[in-house]
Amino acid sequence: MIKIAIYGKGGIGKSTTTSNIAAALAQKKLRVMQIGCDPKADSTVLLRGSEPMKTVLDLVRERGNDFSLDEMIRIGFADVICVEAGGPAPGMGCAGRGIIAALEKLREKGAYETYRPDVVLYDVLGDVVCGGFTMPMRPGYAEKVFVVTSGENMSLHAAANIAMAVENFRSRGYAEFGGLILNRRNTANEDLKTAELAEDIHSKVIGALNRSDIVLKAEDLGQTVISAFPDSIMAEEYRRLADAILEVCNIRRNKA
Amino acid sequence: MIKVGVSVQQDLSIPIREASYPSPFPSGLEYSAPARGTWNIVHTGMLIPEAHQVFVCAQGCLRGVVLTAAELGAEERFSTVAIRQNNVLDGNMEDLIINGVSDILEKMSVKPPAVLVYTSCIHHFMGTDLDTVYRELRERWPDILFTDCYMTPIMRKSGLNPDQTMRRQLYSLLKPSPMEANAVTFAGHDFPIDRSSELYLMLKNSGYVVREVATCRTFEDYQKIAACAHCFTTFPAAKPAGEYLEKNYNQKHIYMPFSYEYTEIVDNYRRLCDELKISLPDFNQYMEDCEIALEKTKRLVGSTPICIDYTLCPRPLGLAKLLLNHGYNVTAVYADSFTSDEKADFEYIQIHYPNLLLYPTVHAGMRILPRKSDEKTLALGQKAAYFSGSDYFVNIVEGAGLYGFDGINKLLELMREAYLTPKDTRSLIQVKGMGCNAGGCL
Repeated sequence: MIKIAIYGKGGIGKSTTTSNIAAALAQKKLRVMQIGCDPKADSTVLLRGSEPMKTVLDLVRERGNDFSLDEMIRIGFADVICVEAGGPAPGMGCAGRGIIAALEKLREKGAYETYRPDVVLYDVLGDVVCGGFTMPMRPGYAEKVFVVTSGENMSLHAAANIAMAVENFRSRGYAEFGGLILNRRNTANEDLKTAELAEDIHSKVIGALNRSDIVLKAEDLGQTVISAFPDSIMAEEYRRLADAILEVCNIRRNKA
Repeated sequence: MIKVGVSVQQDLSIPIREASYPSPFPSGLEYSAPARGTWNIVHTGMLIPEAHQVFVCAQGCLRGVVLTAAELGAEERFSTVAIRQNNVLDGNMEDLIINGVSDILEKMSVKPPAVLVYTSCIHHFMGTDLDTVYRELRERWPDILFTDCYMTPIMRKSGLNPDQTMRRQLYSLLKPSPMEANAVTFAGHDFPIDRSSELYLMLKNSGYVVREVATCRTFEDYQKIAACAHCFTTFPAAKPAGEYLEKNYNQKHIYMPFSYEYTEIVDNYRRLCDELKISLPDFNQYMEDCEIALEKTKRLVGSTPICIDYTLCPRPLGLAKLLLNHGYNVTAVYADSFTSDEKADFEYIQIHYPNLLLYPTVHAGMRILPRKSDEKTLALGQKAAYFSGSDYFVNIVEGAGLYGFDGINKLLELMREAYLTPKDTRSLIQVKGMGCNAGGCL
């Protein structure tokens, strides 16, 4: 089982990228589980179409512990197992605590042992702003952290912060930094600035995605590019990215 | 004020016929009666000889446990690490625990063999990485054993509560040891099984050694519990301890529910004897002795109202049933909820003694309930004594190790004594952790 966390600044395209990676990996006959760690609970929406689902925290709030593992998931495109951690209403509660509670509940209910996914993808909201957001990096959760970034300064800044958090927690046996994923916004010197960041944090850019209207078209259809436009160039870019992630994980795994 | 009290009294008690099992009363704002004899996590943790306790919490919340330790005179075995706002802002909760505990240990001239680190609600809320904390502490202090304990009142009503967790963690410092077939333990008990009980004598006379954390005097004694082949538990809060010993030390766990029902007591002994391959004694004489004691006590107390509370023993309804069936005038039971062991007793009393009154103990209204009565009342338990305003009370908590037929007999003896000799209720019930500093935990 490979467990991967995908971080990045809010609005940078984490969920879209993660869902397309999930779809691409699933089409390789891998059993994939995608866990959205965002109070908005929209991480897996492109995989499960418009089918509504209860978040883990909704279930906890409404029913305490009286619910089954199956109620926490939906099966999406290419049998991807979709989970949404959920969280408090905007401006209320503690999102970090929400992630902790949801991930603990998944573990407690035996999600990993029951579904036995080959790949688990944690799609984590934004920056590492509090302890709760490091939860997916901890032992037992993700082994690799990838960060989606554009060449925009704020996005690069967030990526640097996440890389710093990973470095800070290295002595604790947390996840390793897997690399940067460049989601191009076509800003000036985008590739160069991202490469410079990668060098600064002793990592590399493992894949780049071009800006394409086809991503928006697929989103309008409520699907991933992989499912809506499987023959498109963009779909091929996502597949290459999925391969690159697997390669990083396998190489590191072989080293271990 | 009195009027309010009267109406509250009328509102708060529920005849058992109208009560719902297991929680007859709505939960809400809670009151803590000043009957403090029950043990808390400090007392129970102190059962591990020579171990040191470190509580890590905000200062305000530390107050209660500090007072407990001070009252026990256990300051030498107790330390605290206070969390301040900057620790939350800086996110160095892990470092605070590691460095705080290390600082305490460095300053101790004689190092303890084990440290119980109690983390609190804020660690739970913030998702403090306790795995990292304990790994680092074990690396820094390889000669000291560390275990995780919890002061998390937020967990009182979900999952394992702090009481169950503490009783389980009592055994988390044991090192695996070769099994001794003739050694057994009673797990999760604050009090040792009474040495005059037929249960203890049966084991002893069959060549079994009973090792209990409550009777250990050294850390070495404590470690010998790991070698027990069997562990027994007698009330629900202790069950996780038995399950833990079974899972981690391969001890065969047998649950033998504390009971006042003759047939249930014998059933427990039958299972014990089957498991240990010893012959089941004849208990008829024990039962006859109980009946004689029940008659003798009834003759003495007559129709005196009797009230019972849940702190006296794990089965207040079982006791009420025994007494009611023998003609005693049991009028009230003080308990906020009932365990699964009490379900049958609850249903039995609903049918046969539907007017028995149930009172909550933590309902906020209990604070202003009138507590004086002109009528002499025999109270069984500290909270029953407090709420009924009686000085005639049996002063034990958690069953005090009494068990089986001998336990019934001894309880009846205590009832006779209580009926005849008034006590200074106020001074007796305000002492925390009854029995903990009197040959028990220290």
